Amino acid sequence: MSAHILKLKVNGREYQALVSANHTLAQVLRENLGLTGTKQGCQVGDCGSCTVLLDGEPVNSCLVLGVQAESREVLTIEGLAEGNKLHPLQDSFVRAGAIQCGFCSPGMILSAKALLERKPSPGLDDIRQGLAGNLCRCTGYQKIVEAVMQASHRMSGEASS
Amino acid sequence: MLLPSFTYHRPGGLAEALAMLDGFGGQAKLLAGGTDLLVNMKHGKQAPAQLIDLDGLAELKASGSRGDALELGAGLKAAAIAGGLGGAAPQALAQGAGALGSPQVRNRASLGGNLVTARPAADMCVPLLALGARVALVSPAGERQVDLPEFFLGPGLTALHPSEVLTRVLLAKPRPGEGSGYGKLGLRKALEIPLVNVAAWLALEADGKTIKEARVALGAAAPTPMLSPGAAKALAGATAGDDAFAAAAFAAAADARPIDDHRGSAEYRRDMVAALTKRCLGQALAQARGN
Ligand SMILES: Cc1cc2nc3c(=O)[nH]c(=O)nc-3n(C[C@H](O)[C@H](O)[C@H](O)COP(=O)(O)OP(=O)(O)OC[C@H]3O[C@@H](n4cnc5c(N)ncnc54)[C@H](O)[C@@H]3O)c2cc1C
Ligand code: FES
Ligand code: FES
Repeated sequence: MSAHILKLKVNGREYQALVSANHTLAQVLRENLGLTGTKQGCQVGDCGSCTVLLDGEPVNSCLVLGVQAESREVLTIEGLAEGNKLHPLQDSFVRAGAIQCGFCSPGMILSAKALLERKPSPGLDDIRQGLAGNLCRCTGYQKIVEAVMQASHRMSGEASS
Repeated sequence: MLLPSFTYHRPGGLAEALAMLDGFGGQAKLLAGGTDLLVNMKHGKQAPAQLIDLDGLAELKASGSRGDALELGAGLKAAAIAGGLGGAAPQALAQGAGALGSPQVRNRASLGGNLVTARPAADMCVPLLALGARVALVSPAGERQVDLPEFFLGPGLTALHPSEVLTRVLLAKPRPGEGSGYGKLGLRKALEIPLVNVAAWLALEADGKTIKEARVALGAAAPTPMLSPGAAKALAGATAGDDAFAAAAFAAAADARPIDDHRGSAEYRRDMVAALTKRCLGQALAQARGN
């Protein structure tokens, strides 16, 4: 067993932590850094509830070792809002009724954020494919897709105004 | 679900990784994207004492051409390959990489990991077999190159020695008059190991009609991804089109040795091998004519 001093940037802030090699990034975020917005469901890559952005790309943090995030940048759901102002995606999820129990929401919103960065005006199929790695047991997905669509309109509106 | 304990190593380059692998003599496992290995470790199927992380090695992430050959680094991620590698990735391989898992899995899953895991229907293995790929295996003793039909020995079993790293995949550079295609059938559209998958590659003669050479690869049809000798024979010298493709589909279904399980019967899988074979050959032909 080995332990490592891990340095990484999470939500724009530098962190340093002493972590065991066998702790996943999800564990490090939740247990060492206290960022419990990242959820752990299946723990084996199937559900996407642990999705975070690693250098901008969505990954399942249950299948990344904490030590593999050395010197890299992580964005979790806690990094989206600016003070009290929700990110347009968070706000659209609330308004569209895309959040029921909320367990899938952090992962869904981060997958959606990565999608909108790549494709600011996605079609319905793009959204479904972008969210294909995130399961929701509550909403039936329709309202989630609508929320991402609304957010994309609002964000491109903001960008052009 | 916790990971068993192990010691983690981050080599600075391939040479160091090889020396570590050699030094630990069978105690160590290579870690790439971890989407197979970490899952197996969580399920208690594997418990290596040492993990050697290849994920950061830039040497394994390069792609480029050397003469007539296209070389793809084993560390390339499925997401990058699905994106086409700036037009360099053959169509069937890009399609296979794009059908693998989910966006999150594709951002981690590597080409080398997919080949070494060697599932009978792995999404990058089947296209690479149709494309006639070889792999470069490097150990402290040097490099050897192995054709994929000799590399896949069984489910999860390959010709890779414990002291070797798979560094590159070697392919012939796509030429005009050639094309490839991939098709996958699962019970759902994402996060699914295929029920059946097929890849096809063909090269046309200068007349643009006659098939010079073709390969059809089948997944989930045997313990390893396999080439269909019958389909290759039915296609060589034939006029490209529905008749030849129907004959190849029939031959591919006859070559397939699928299993019966809770996900689908052998008979259904065989029918789907035929249907996907026709579809992939159609895609390959369209690409060959468009080039
Ligand atoms: C939720 C989920 C969905 C999935 N869906 C699919 C799917 O649809 N289709 C599919 O084909 N696969 C699927 N997979 C399996 C997996 O993602 C792929 O096989 C992937 O390509 C493995 O690559 P990796 O880099 O993650 O490998 P790792 O897990 O890091 O390694 C796998 C094995 O290969 C060895 N290895 C890795 N790189 C090298 C190298 N360069 N040289 C020598 N040995 C090496 C490792 O030691 C290990 O034994 C899925 C996995 C998950 C978790
Ligand atoms: S907890 Fe990571 S994918 Fe389910
Ligand atoms: S809102 Fe409950 S899982 Fe999606």
